[in-house]
Amino acid sequence: MTATSLQPKSLTTDARVRVRAKRLVLYTILVSVTGLFLGPFGWLILSGLKTQGELAASPVHWLPDVFQWHNFADAFHQIDFLGYARNSLVIALIYATLVTLSSAWVGFGFARLDAPGKKVLFGVLLGSMMLPQMVTLLPTYLIFAKVGMVDTYWPWVLWGLSAAPYLVFLFRQFFAGMPRELEEAAIVDGCGYATIFWRIFLPQSWPVLSASFIIAFTWTWGDYIAPQLLLSTDRTTLAVAVMTAYVNDGGTPVPELQAAASVMYVVPILLIFLIAQRGFVAGMSTSGLK
Amino acid sequence: MTVDQISSVADRPDAAARAGRAPAVGGSRTSMTARRHRAFYMFTSPWIIGFLLLTVTPMVYALWLSFTTFDGISPNWKYVGLGNYRELLNDPVTWDSLGRAGLFALTSVPLSIIAGLVLAVLVNRPIKARGLFRTLLYLPAVVPPVGAGLAFKLLFDQNSGASNGVLTFFGFDAVGWLADPYARYVLLMTVLWGAGNVMIISLAGLQDVPRELHEAARIDGASAWRTFRSITVPLLSPVLLFQTVTGMIASVQTIMPLLLAPLGDTSGITTVPQSNYLYMMHVFAQYFALGRYGYASALLWVLFVLILAVTGLIFKFTSGAVFYNVDPEAKK
Repeated sequence: MTATSLQPKSLTTDARVRVRAKRLVLYTILVSVTGLFLGPFGWLILSGLKTQGELAASPVHWLPDVFQWHNFADAFHQIDFLGYARNSLVIALIYATLVTLSSAWVGFGFARLDAPGKKVLFGVLLGSMMLPQMVTLLPTYLIFAKVGMVDTYWPWVLWGLSAAPYLVFLFRQFFAGMPRELEEAAIVDGCGYATIFWRIFLPQSWPVLSASFIIAFTWTWGDYIAPQLLLSTDRTTLAVAVMTAYVNDGGTPVPELQAAASVMYVVPILLIFLIAQRGFVAGMSTSGLK
Repeated sequence: MTVDQISSVADRPDAAARAGRAPAVGGSRTSMTARRHRAFYMFTSPWIIGFLLLTVTPMVYALWLSFTTFDGISPNWKYVGLGNYRELLNDPVTWDSLGRAGLFALTSVPLSIIAGLVLAVLVNRPIKARGLFRTLLYLPAVVPPVGAGLAFKLLFDQNSGASNGVLTFFGFDAVGWLADPYARYVLLMTVLWGAGNVMIISLAGLQDVPRELHEAARIDGASAWRTFRSITVPLLSPVLLFQTVTGMIASVQTIMPLLLAPLGDTSGITTVPQSNYLYMMHVFAQYFALGRYGYASALLWVLFVLILAVTGLIFKFTSGAVFYNVDPEAKK
């Protein structure tokens, strides 16, 4: 073999090795980062399967000697788990349904209609997204207390009816992209805008409607502070119950039941996300930029 | 209006009546404009009313409270003018907690944006099981705060947490992660755990970067890093700006310190370790533990003004650096 024929051949093998090495590094990074990201949730599940002794053991007791599946049943019975889950569900359904409809309604206005002051209002809408909710929530709580709406679900009805800027923006982007002819023909036919919205635009916006509904549902299901402030221990949501109710008579926490309960609290949200992933992600990323 | 459309209006007496007059072209256009204006306000009114009632009213109410000693119970509260503001300026806890919140924002926001961006670039490559990686990396971002807080509490438990298990396995001493001074790192990690959020949004931006740009860069012999720095980042800059602003606002109002604290009294404030005692925790303590609504409202208003100022500054200083690829209005 001469040097000339060897040279290009070894270069290609070299390049191939380099590509393969690069790919190996990439997969190693991805797999380890993914492992790290799943770690906390895995640990939560493992903790929910241990005994209290194992959970307090030092040094760490990596795996339970016997998987304590009954922890999940116990967590169900130690508190009125189903009752709290129902409260969460009711609040989340009320809010998600109302806020999706109201945001679609408002979004339609911003996308398809004009009036003096529209620019300013839209600016205020975008600006209000920057407003930390915590700043308004605390005084809102005082007002709700004053008008006797504490320990009722009315706050969620009102919040739902008044549309969420984030979702309004989502709908506005979607409706603005629909062809003009849609409503022009309907106007000529004598339809009012409400009819146009309800009969023509809404039925075509299932992707956004479902994305909005799921986003709003997960917000409410995950919200800890509003129900903690506004609702009493009986009427409160699963988020608050999981956080605070797993204590024994002496007031000390029961971590294995709390872990099991929080797995049962989190899994529905993960399932909803996995099932509706596409719309959810599309919704998140649209609102992010465009 | 075309002749066809006019005749179709004329064919329907109810439609013509609704337009207010005979369908003469000019007249019907004016009334249609008026109709559109009315309709605009009809459609946007739920938000306008809600904004006035549930955002503006509470803010104004809080502003009024911030000039008083109102505590919700005692009937003889009084107007103290700027007294609360004077007090908060002289309260070292205000400054310390504000400093901690600032430090937390300055570390958590850039770190999670960088982490999310790196992840986005990684999972944007043509690799196997790309969708699976994306899903799994994003998953933590959907875990509700209560679940995330508890998971991290168990993971970083001084005795039985996996983190100390790993440390002691390698011969290090166990660390009191959830107490001072380490609690801040756990708090930071809870934020980084949600970096999938930035990843997903950046990924959408990455996919919008025109392929030709990358190809042109490669032909010109640009390195991967150079391409990333000169093409990807500028084109993603609106996304990054959005992430910076929303990330900052999220960091100011996070309740994670409460969720990471040992279960103490109902509000949990007293058990939050010093290093996680951010500004919002100071507000909570004043509001709930002490019931000092007036003083807490002053703290909230200071925070509100600070956020406005910081957001304004961010927008001002990035206005030249942010590159808008397409005019969003022109895209329609």
